[in-house]
Amino acid sequence: MKDLSFIIIDDTELDHFIARKVITNANKNFNVKSFLNPYQALEHIAHPDYDEGIKIILVFLDIYMPLMNGFEFVEQFEKLDPKIQEKYYIVALTSSVEVSDINLIRSYKSFKARVTKPVTATGLNTLLTKVGKEYNLETGV
Amino acid sequence: MAEKIKILYLDDEMDNLTGFKATLRLDYQVFTAVNIPGAMEHLEKHPDIRVIFCDQRMPVKTGVEFFEGIRSTHPLPMRILITAYTDIEAVIDSINRGNIFRFVKKPWAEAELISAIEEANKFYQANSMLAIKNEELQKAYSELDKFAYSVSHDIRGPLSGILGAINVAREMYDIAEMKEMLFLMEKSLKKLDTYILSMHDYYSLQRGELQICEIDFKKMTDEFRDIYKVFSNSADITFKVNINQREPFRSDTVPLKLILNNLLSNAFKYQNKNNDAKLVELNIEVNKGVATIVVSDTGIGILGNHLGEIFNLFYRASSQESGSGFGLYNVKSALLKLNGQIEVNSVLNKGTTFKVTVPTK
Repeated sequence: MKDLSFIIIDDTELDHFIARKVITNANKNFNVKSFLNPYQALEHIAHPDYDEGIKIILVFLDIYMPLMNGFEFVEQFEKLDPKIQEKYYIVALTSSVEVSDINLIRSYKSFKARVTKPVTATGLNTLLTKVGKEYNLETGV
Repeated sequence: MAEKIKILYLDDEMDNLTGFKATLRLDYQVFTAVNIPGAMEHLEKHPDIRVIFCDQRMPVKTGVEFFEGIRSTHPLPMRILITAYTDIEAVIDSINRGNIFRFVKKPWAEAELISAIEEANKFYQANSMLAIKNEELQKAYSELDKFAYSVSHDIRGPLSGILGAINVAREMYDIAEMKEMLFLMEKSLKKLDTYILSMHDYYSLQRGELQICEIDFKKMTDEFRDIYKVFSNSADITFKVNINQREPFRSDTVPLKLILNNLLSNAFKYQNKNNDAKLVELNIEVNKGVATIVVSDTGIGILGNHLGEIFNLFYRASSQESGSGFGLYNVKSALLKLNGQIEVNSVLNKGTTFKVTVPTK
């Protein structure tokens, strides 16, 4: 399972726990990194040290966070080296059904997908199938 | 007695101005001007002039032209045109272009002037009231918007987390893992509960009436000491309380407690986890009818560029711990009710000090 790895950015511990559980339930070999603080996550992404074999890193990014929300995060992300950017696939995580949020998410090119919280096995499966097709990957689920 | 209503009279004939002032100066604060620059100077200096009288027949500009000119720059004062003769053309002009409230015919009768001023003042007050209410309404609307947004995230967030946890639990067989998850679920629920309690505080602060009584700060803080004892023991935080009240103090207990509780719980919550000598200090001094409350901590501090925003509704300056974004906003609302002030000083990674002053009622 070297093609894919995961980063979760969320200010709620329970949501980390659930996302991690759902991801490792799908395949226990998936590598998952957790960040409660979006600044640290950005720092991590800006200085990549992932396995050479990893083709794409899925970033589950919570939209509603204090200090730096998902939109601000993506704006910072888009300033990074394009070579770094293309390695990441950012998925917006929302618990809300706010139309304004959904439209805003659509307006950023870096948000490749949107998943409603809580993350479920079916939701993850749909996402992985989509990513697998787009990048021609063996997602293992 | 209330301050006298300010009125301005513009006329190119000095005699008229003198007579006008002599008639009205006892009951009103009268400004007079013999030309337009003079009138403008008064208007700049006294933006609270409520009624403007102006003669129609003047050199350079007519009264209607003068009123038309100041319509956009000084929209608030009521305009009254004084004129010796009228044709229908002039009347139409003055209403449409000059936005005139009334006409007064020359030579005027005192009673007529006074009734015109009183009527104009009523209109002025009604308009100002409308503007104030409108502003309040705008504020309420914008808070409502923020509310709807926050409710959909802050209430739905923990709920969807709990739902997700229940889903995941169906395929969980390890008891230790289950317990870890239950612990996190509890944390989320507590956060939701805090949010709802603060929302109630928010509401009662916005709508409730003050209930003034004698305040004994010693007694009040003893309660807090008990509540925070648990906190300070488990997290190893020293809690120092110092009360110096030698005179009676009157205020409302509910907002006062809310202020203290919010500041103290922040001080305990946002501690620097790596600090060995964690400290929260509460100092209250009552002197000459003013209570000064100082809450300081050795916590994580607040970044300078967040300081200006921490009193905003739903603003959160830290991802550490479970903030609802209500706390300091409620503190500010409570202080508004008590005519109090708040100052904040903070150094990142060193600590924060809030200083509150509240006058006795």
